[in-house]
Amino acid sequence: MKKWYSVFLFLCVFALVATGCAGISGDSDVSGDAKSDGSNSKKQEMTVANDVGIISLDPYGSAHGEPATILAATQIYDTLVKNDGNKLVPSLATEWKQPDDLTWVFKLRDDVTFHDGTKLTAKDVKASLEQLVTRKESPLTVLWAQLDSVEATDDTTVTIKTKTPLGNLLYNLTLLYITPADQATSKDFFRKPIGSGPFRVESFQPDQDLKLSGNKDYWDGAPKLDSLTIKNIPENAARMTAIETGEIDATWTIPADLIDQLKQNKEINIMDTPSYFYYFNWFNSSEKPFDDVRVRKAMWYALDTKAIVKDLFGDTAEVMKAPIPSSIFGFSEQTPYEYNPEKAKQLLKEAGYPDGFETRMIWSKGSGPQILELQKALTSYWDKIGVKIVPDQLERAEWIEKLTALDWNMDLQTNAVISGDADYTLGRLYISQANRNGYKNEKLDELLIKAKQSTDADKRAQFYDQANKIIWDDAVGIFPLQLKQIYAVRKNVKGLEASPTGAPNFHKVSIE
Amino acid sequence: MASYLIRRFFYSLFVIWGAITIIFAVLRIIPGDPAAVMLGSNATPEQIHSLNESLGLNKPLFVQYGQFIVDVLRLDFGESFRLGGPALTHVLERLPFTITLAFTAILFAIIISFPLGIQAARKPNGAADRIISFVSLFGQSLPTFWVGIVLILIFSRVLGILPSAGAGSVAHLIMPAFTLCLPFIGMIVRLVRSGILEELRQGYVQTARSKGLKQNFILYIHVLRNALIPVVTVLGLLLGEFIGSAIIIEVVFSWPGIGRLLINSILYRDYAVVQAAIALIAGIYIILNLIVDILYGYIDPRIRVEES
Repeated sequence: MKKWYSVFLFLCVFALVATGCAGISGDSDVSGDAKSDGSNSKKQEMTVANDVGIISLDPYGSAHGEPATILAATQIYDTLVKNDGNKLVPSLATEWKQPDDLTWVFKLRDDVTFHDGTKLTAKDVKASLEQLVTRKESPLTVLWAQLDSVEATDDTTVTIKTKTPLGNLLYNLTLLYITPADQATSKDFFRKPIGSGPFRVESFQPDQDLKLSGNKDYWDGAPKLDSLTIKNIPENAARMTAIETGEIDATWTIPADLIDQLKQNKEINIMDTPSYFYYFNWFNSSEKPFDDVRVRKAMWYALDTKAIVKDLFGDTAEVMKAPIPSSIFGFSEQTPYEYNPEKAKQLLKEAGYPDGFETRMIWSKGSGPQILELQKALTSYWDKIGVKIVPDQLERAEWIEKLTALDWNMDLQTNAVISGDADYTLGRLYISQANRNGYKNEKLDELLIKAKQSTDADKRAQFYDQANKIIWDDAVGIFPLQLKQIYAVRKNVKGLEASPTGAPNFHKVSIE
Repeated sequence: MASYLIRRFFYSLFVIWGAITIIFAVLRIIPGDPAAVMLGSNATPEQIHSLNESLGLNKPLFVQYGQFIVDVLRLDFGESFRLGGPALTHVLERLPFTITLAFTAILFAIIISFPLGIQAARKPNGAADRIISFVSLFGQSLPTFWVGIVLILIFSRVLGILPSAGAGSVAHLIMPAFTLCLPFIGMIVRLVRSGILEELRQGYVQTARSKGLKQNFILYIHVLRNALIPVVTVLGLLLGEFIGSAIIIEVVFSWPGIGRLLINSILYRDYAVVQAAIALIAGIYIILNLIVDILYGYIDPRIRVEES
């Protein structure tokens, strides 16, 4: 029997060690009650949750551009220029001017320090931009393909030169997060990085949680929160429970069917804002039958877009009015395609498909909310005009491979214009050279290049106005809906503003 | 014993080599390109090509494999594409959570199923036996993700006594561990029950009874120990199972274990992390098997490792 005890003892010790390593302590944290008593008048502690975890705090790596990484970066780092939803506003840069079309000169604040106390200077900005353009794994490097040089003229002056005029440069700068020049190349740095933003990193577990503390020395005023924890709760039911019980104070990306339930809870406010995320269904215009514009238009006339959006998405989306969401610079409203199956059939007949045809549609399941329901709705509408859809749902990695190889007839996906500027999607995806959907139009190419290279905002808007129209009228794809960002916030949270990218800034947020 | 362990050690290395070689090949055979996944759906073919080049994924497969094996021998599984930093570090950071969850689940399974199994064996086909077998079958048939969500709704939303997500305290452990072990309770109950019934038919039980020993004494001191052998085998394998396949439970309860890391890494084609995780899980299975074999000897002296 003694041997038995030793085995048991061994197992117990093993379990204890493991438990210790996992940071598990005896005190349970069922925070519903703890939060509502008076203790929080001393400490401002906030916990929020998102549905997709933060995988990296590296603002130059492959995760840059993911909403979760932007969420973290917004709290930890600063940018030269900020997008406040409607317009660009100064942040680290107080002013900027353009001596000529190819040169931008930025004047920096001189009262900014990093979390370790060192001063933020033009050298750090130079190093950060150079880091971003040399990192091959960053999806955003391409935004800076036209960069010629960046120089730190003096401690508070940065000069950026481009090879061709770059109209979206200021928008690109809203995604350039500044890290200290001497540490940006170290691999371990981004496990617990240092920035100049309103919050410092306390601890970070990828895919799990990010613990931040308020930066008392923040140049734009100390944040009201002492601590901010961003948790990942992938399961919707658990996330909704957590906001209802008060375990978390705010969450966003709420599924359409769960909003009503949250609205009944008197402790919770529901907020929404138009987002930069939208759905499109592309046609492969390089091969039959979608090489014919009449067929592409017929597909759109066959859809009752309004009904689809209302039935499936309710309050979480709105019908799109252009190939890019309405909150993006370069948006211009187009005439909607009405629901007219007769016209659709007529167009198919003219194009030589009186009996319809069969076509293959690809999508990736995780691409967006309710993508399966949307796909089914589209399929049933198209069925009525004789177009049979062969569904091909793919895993994300395989979907990207097929998508870029143009190995599809139709592609349903979401996309995001995270820079807030039309060039991010229109300029990259619809130019003939990119050949992303087989559509080629020299007129459109010319407009998109002009818009990219013009530094005059009004002129750019005019070019995009025409580009929107061509893409819409030629039905390069169907643009059914833009998603809203829905936020559920506990009533005692003040000052939280819904963000179109799902990356709200917690600088001004407080808990009462 | 020593020669047995040495033999076992080399055999284990062979198994781990096999596991990582298979996973190395499978990851590269399935469609999907890490560079394309990292750069997202808006990337150009030139970007993807140049990233593949810098990741060394354009080299011939056997060159990559040779480099991989050399690195693994130095315990270097490479850098994670998705998370950055050494892949093994990421896996090892998750390991304590996974082990904690698996051990707690095993503990729950033992605490719940042993008394039930013994109770059921006392009067085979009696009322208690029937109820127990029905309930455990019921528990076995419920889908895990559903059980998890229902538990969250009851204990977090309605009763408000347990946290709904995350890790960090004992309270966080209860629901995931229970959900994890639930489907296996029925199996263990039946093993305990049939093991005991089998043993009760043995001659030594007759002898013990005729000696005038109490029924309970016979049951707990003599019979149970002998009935344990198949149960220990199953518990050992189950522990491995819990470590390798708690993915759904980890997602439902936001538990930061290896399962979730593994599935996300597969989806993102994060080769290094998948390989490191598989090697580690294979290693754990092997160690558990070894422990089970050694335990046999303790439980039943007739089975000694030297003989096997």
